[in-house]
This record gives sequence, C-alpha cells and structure tokens, in this order.
Amino acid sequence: MAFEFKLPEIGEGVSEGEIVKWLVNEGDTIREDQPIVEIMTDKATMEIASPTSGKVQKRMAGEGQMIQVGKTLAVIDETGAKASKPTSTPEAKPTQTAAAVQAAPVMAAPTPANNTKVLASPATRKMAREMGVDLTRVAGSGPVGRVLMDDLTKTPGLASRPTTSSNYQPRTTTASGGEERIPLRGIRKKIAEHMTKSRHTAMHFTQVDEVDFTALTDLKDAAREKYEPRGVKITYLPFITRALCQTLKEFPNMNGSLDDEKQEIIIKHYYNIGIAAQTDTGLVVPVVKNADQKTIVELAQEIASLADKAKTGKLAATDMQGGTFTITSTGNSGGLFATPIINHPELGIIAINRIQDSAVVRDGQIVIRKMGHLSLSLDHRIIDGAVGASFLKSMKNKLENPGLMFLEE
Amino acid sequence: MKVDVVVIGAGPGGYVAAIRLGQLGKKVAIVNKSELGGVCLNWGCIPSKALIHAAKVYEEFQHAEELGISVKGVSIDLKKTQEWKSSVVKKLTGGVGQLLQANGIQIVKGEAVFETANRIRVKGVNSGQETIEFSHAIVATGSRTIEIPGFAIDDKNVIDSKAALELTQAPKRMTVIGGGVIGMEIGMLYQKFGTEVTVVEFMPQLIPGVDVEISQALQRTCKKRGINVFTSTKALGYEKKKDGLAISVETPKGNETIMSDVILLSVGRTPNGLGFGLEKIGVNVHAKGSITVNNKLQTNIPNIYAIGDVVGPPQLAHKASKEGLVAAECIAGHNEIYDVRAMPGAIFTDPEIATVGLSEEEAQKQGYETLVGKFPFAASGRALSTRQTDGFVKVVADKKNKLILGVHMMGPEVSNLISEATLAIEMGATLEDLALTVHPHPTLSECLMEAAEGALGKAIHAVNRADTRSLLERKRDQKHA
Repeated sequence: MAFEFKLPEIGEGVSEGEIVKWLVNEGDTIREDQPIVEIMTDKATMEIASPTSGKVQKRMAGEGQMIQVGKTLAVIDETGAKASKPTSTPEAKPTQTAAAVQAAPVMAAPTPANNTKVLASPATRKMAREMGVDLTRVAGSGPVGRVLMDDLTKTPGLASRPTTSSNYQPRTTTASGGEERIPLRGIRKKIAEHMTKSRHTAMHFTQVDEVDFTALTDLKDAAREKYEPRGVKITYLPFITRALCQTLKEFPNMNGSLDDEKQEIIIKHYYNIGIAAQTDTGLVVPVVKNADQKTIVELAQEIASLADKAKTGKLAATDMQGGTFTITSTGNSGGLFATPIINHPELGIIAINRIQDSAVVRDGQIVIRKMGHLSLSLDHRIIDGAVGASFLKSMKNKLENPGLMFLEE
Repeated sequence: MKVDVVVIGAGPGGYVAAIRLGQLGKKVAIVNKSELGGVCLNWGCIPSKALIHAAKVYEEFQHAEELGISVKGVSIDLKKTQEWKSSVVKKLTGGVGQLLQANGIQIVKGEAVFETANRIRVKGVNSGQETIEFSHAIVATGSRTIEIPGFAIDDKNVIDSKAALELTQAPKRMTVIGGGVIGMEIGMLYQKFGTEVTVVEFMPQLIPGVDVEISQALQRTCKKRGINVFTSTKALGYEKKKDGLAISVETPKGNETIMSDVILLSVGRTPNGLGFGLEKIGVNVHAKGSITVNNKLQTNIPNIYAIGDVVGPPQLAHKASKEGLVAAECIAGHNEIYDVRAMPGAIFTDPEIATVGLSEEEAQKQGYETLVGKFPFAASGRALSTRQTDGFVKVVADKKNKLILGVHMMGPEVSNLISEATLAIEMGATLEDLALTVHPHPTLSECLMEAAEGALGKAIHAVNRADTRSLLERKRDQKHA
C-alpha cells in the first residue's frame, strides 16, 4: 500500500529545504531507517531516513529542488514490508488508508546524529550531544576504537567545528546587472583566515625547477597495473611523498616551524606530510602521519582514504593536525607551475603541476619526455635561497632516478 | 488551568516524565484515569512479582526437609496473600503520589480528550469538566489486553492478567492462552499454588522472540513441573460444560479439547492511542492504536510527545520510564535523544529469564560471525548451595573484535544479574572486559564472567570451548550426535 512520506521537521524555524542528493532510486527496495535523501537548509545538510520498509515508488522532487516541510517527499510502496524487530527504536508502520498519513521524522535534529556504530559509553554520548559533536567525526582512542571522554574534551576545536560541512549561505541579489553579496562563513572563512596568517608571517619566496618524470611514470604505471586489481590506486603522490621525506631528512632545518612567540625554530624529527585536497566546500589538508615509515603502497592507500574522507566531509580534526610539510598537486588540470602559500606554521610547501609529454634536448637530440615542474615556496626568515635550491635539486634527482629512493629502505 | 506540560497517564512512563519535568522547573499537570502508577504498579509488574514471591516462599517451605528444616502443615490462604499484595501496591502508589506532589505536579483525576494541539478537556470522575491549556503534552496512555474471537473477557470464565492477579482462590485447572511473558509468569505462579496449568501458544516456541535455547529450557522446566505446553497451537474457542470449560485447540497433530476451570487470555497488549481525540487534531495514530514518534519521542505534531506502551514494543515499564526522561529533557530544551543501545528484559518465570542485546540468531542474521560462551548454573557453587541449579548464562559476541552483542540468561536472580551485561553493552565492552573483571566468590555473578571466558575458550569451571559454529551447524551437529 502506498505510503506518502512527508518531509518532517528539519530544524527550528525551518520551513523548507533543498534536495541535495537522492540516495535511492525509484524502484529500489529500502529498509526502515535507511537514509534515502540528503536535504540542505541554511543551517546544515542532513540525511533523512525512511520510517518504513518497502519499495520507492516515486520521488516527488528532483535534486536541486526545494521542498517544504510537510509536503510529500516520496511515495513508498509498503506491501511485503517486514515487521520491525522488538528491540528497535519506535516502529513506524501505517496500516490505515484513511486521510493523508504523515510519518513522523525518524531522525534527530540537525546536531548530533544518533550513532549506532560508534562505541562510546552513555556518559560520553551525552557529552557529545551537549557539545553538539558528531561522534562519527571523533577519533576514538579507546580499545576497539571506543571514543573516550578525553577524546571529546581534549581534542582542540571539536565543539566549534561545524558538525556537517555545509557551505550553504543565503544570498541576497539586487536587480539584474547589480551585485551579489555572500557572507563569508564556515570553511571559506577559515581558509581566508589561514591564508592571511600564512602570508603575513612567513616571508614567502618560490623556486621552480622542471623535472623529467619519465622514469617515475614507468614505475608508477607498472605499480598501478599490479596493485589496481587489489584495490590500491598508485599515483605520483606516494612517490613524491617518499622523495620529500628523504630530502627533508637531508635538510632537517626545513622540516619544522617557527615559534613566533618564543622566537625559536622547532626542528621536527617526525615527518607528517599534508596532502592538500580540494573539496566542494574548499581546500582541506589531511595529514599522512609518519609518512617516512610507510611503503609506497601504504602511502597510496592512506592518501586515497584521506581524500575520500575529505570529499565526503568526514575528516576528523586529528586528521588535519600535526603536519610538518605539505604537498599540493593540481594534477593535470593545473597549469605549468605555481606559487603555493605555505601551510602555516610549516616552513615550506611543494607543488606539482601538469606532467606532460614535452620536447627536450638529450645528448644533442630532441626527444619526448614526460616533463613537469616542482614549485617550492619557502619561508625566507628561516630558509635561504641557496638551501632551497639544493633541496629542489635533491628532490629532482630522486624523482628523475626513482630507484635511488629504495636503496636504503 | 494553564500549564507548561500536561502528561496523560500516570504509569511508569507518565509519572517519571512528570517528575523529571518538575525537576527541570516546568509547570506540570498529570491527568490519570484511575490509579497512580498505572498498570505496572496496580495490576501488572508489582502485583505479579509479589504473588510470585509468595508462591516461591510457599514452595520453599514445602521442600525445606532436605535442609534439615521440618515444616508441618504448610497452607496458603490466597485471600490473605492478596491483602498483603495490596498493601505493597498501596505503599508504592502512595509513594508516587508523594513524589509528584513534592515536585509540584498537579494531579488531575479523569479522562483526557484533546481539543486542539494546545488544549485538552478532562472528564472528571464526578462528571465535572476541566480544560487544561498547555505548551507541550506527553501521551503516556499505555496499552490494554488484546481479545481474540472466541475468548471474550467476561471476568468469570475468561479473565485477563488483571483479574488473574486478584484471585482469592487458586483455580483447580487454568488454561493460559498465549505463552508469552505474562502468561508464563502467571501460569507458573499458580502451578505453585496447586493449580493444574496448561499453556496454549500459537508460535513454535514459548516466549517468542527470546533466545531459542532459553525457550526450549523453559519448556523442559514446565514439563518437569507438570505444566502441559502446547506450541504451534491455535485456540479456537470454548464451551461451558457440566464439569468445566471445554477449550478446543488446533494442534499440529489435529484438534484437541482441554478441560479447564478458568481461561487466562494473555495473547498480548495493544496500544491505547485511539479515543483521546489525537487523530482529530492531526496526530498520526495508526488503526491499531500505536503512535509513531521520532527519536526525541515527538509525534508528527512537534509539541505533542508520546511514550511507553502506546508508542510500541518493547512493552516494558523501564522503557516507558526512559522515554519519559528523554521526552522531559527534550521539552526542557536539552539536546537529548532516545539513545538506548541495550534494553534489558526480565521475565519472572521459574527459573527467571533475563536478556539484553542480540540473540545468537539475530546476530547471525545481521551478518555477524559470532563467538558464543555458555556457562551452566549447575557448575556454580553459589547456585548449588541455594538449590537453584537450573539454567545457564549465554554470552554472544562479535568474533572479529570480541564486542559483546548480547547476553541471555536463565536461572536464579538473573533479573538482577542482567544489569551488569546491560552496562557492558552500553559501554561497548568486549569479552575480555567482562572476563578480566574480578567477580566475587561465591556468587551467581561469577557465571557471567565464566561465560565470557568460555567464549574466549578459557573458562576455568567448565570444560567448554569457544563455539564459533553457526546456530544452524550446532543444531545439525546436535542432531547427529
């Protein structure tokens, strides 16, 4: 029998939302409590779950369309739906055909999701709710990944982080041809503040050199062929990360930060490499911890997993802390070279741009090689040009002769 | 009257919600049809446990010889038992009244009908009427006995649990239709008073939904006690004959007739959502009477909440109380949700049954590879020295990370022992957490520790190995053994 699922309350004072993404198609069989659509309001983006099992008969609005609270969101065919378990949360099984049946919302208000998978004691869960923290975003340091009270209270910036990454800002437009004003909020604002701070403290200068990536490309392709069937995608990044770590060990003064307050240079003997990732809501830099101790395959897996988390807005605060140097890569879409901005408070950042077939001269002959540019921005308060140049030369040497990276480990 | 919150129903859901709201500074009125404490205090949980205790003591006296105690002429006068039971109930309902008053809750006796989403009309006992205006409402109207065709309740031949707990004389023969929690508790207690008890259950197992090994153990216990059990049997109807009531039932082997003096109808309870005007003001009430709520206990009308039996299963007093607390906190503006991960259940049969979390079957259906540890009370020194050796503790865990998924117990005092298991599951404990915690000796609680150790393959007081086979495999192996 057809059940009209009406859009439930999605926030105080909120009368409508935008359908961001349908998670099910017409004709799909769904379970009770299964999330079926993502709705965005000017407060947050959330998943709406179906209050009943059955088959999705019709989706009443399309992605990008607005829908009002109380209007039908989807029609679900319930014939053959199973009874809910005795220990599940309150049942929602309309059985009458009388007047429009409106199911009650089966999900929580915009703040803390009702996590059934995250292990945490009742007191910790309550604290999370009070802090407005989504438990799926907290790295649990207890056994079996349990989130402890300390994880909540001692992770900096947890409470003030937005629980869902929404960049939806209300716009006010004037008559055509006029201006648009978008309030600076959320992640965009954070990026603006961070970049400003970086440029206002570090004395940026950038050095660029071109690198012959031919040998590395062969190695990468061979590795990719071998590991792709195992679900690991090998790109240039793991190799660049390894080259970077090894070069940083040769130039320890470049792996660290400047403590402005104490006027001390902190040289770090661990190597946490940030890999900049572009998401829909802005730039984020997840960090691969102890990258020097990981194999190429491990690096590839971790980089992919972090990128995935970044794209789906699931990066935890700890994922983005503790970096000592950063790599930024725009891939093949991103121009010749760059003047990257250092990820404060680190001392340098390296960018890799487009790698493409180019005509170059070798032994008096014009040959075709895979060429790319490395752009290295450094903090001139601590690192001089000559040092930077040597660093770049050493990086280049490793990347052009990749075998060198595997001789000692 | 104008209040912040009106609570309809003063059972374990309603009165708890009201008290919490009072503590949070809200002006509250609680509207109740009959007695404070609802079914639980007056005609359910409390009276049944009181009678069950009396029955237990009666039985203990009859078997005291073994302990060297000579007891002659033990008899029971159910009229006096009922008086004692009533005194217990009265103390508790009086206590609820005092708590409500102490928290400034207005108690209104009568039947409530919703006129709008902010006003109810109360039909008082003395046909006076009163309107109460409110900002929020909590519907805690509970449930009532389900009647089935052929067995209309007439309080004489066919009685429900309420009447069954008020008998002043033990029936000679009682047939219990519905071998669920209520039917089994009442049936087993009357067996101790000398009644010849027969149980007719529609499903293939007694107490459907509980772990199948426990259900089977219960059936064996019934057999030992002389309680006749019919499973997979449908009760068709009855006829009054000269020598009693002739009940016709349809068993898997064919139709049969059971002779009885009284029939206890206990096939379930249905939610009381209809008849309060809720549907008229737009609240989503289903044809069967249950009210849908979200995890803040709100109905589709955001200022009207519903809790307890009227919302749906499990129909447990402590679930109602918990929902009452959450609803109260939500109304007071706290960022709360119903976030219970482990809802325990206690059944006061003999031996007792208590469960929390997933059964072995449920866990496997959900795709878990399970580790199971089982420890019999017969191996417990404490159980032996109190002559209560029937039963076992069973721990079900996730093989991958040893997380405890469920604990199912049958045996002495398990209604108390289950709370440790409930805490374990709420905290995300593993088998090692339970196994490594020291439990005092000699106690029954040690059996939980040993069952957890058993799941890890290292119980000291039982020669069992961690059983990682699926339930199906074990059943198959048992068959071939």
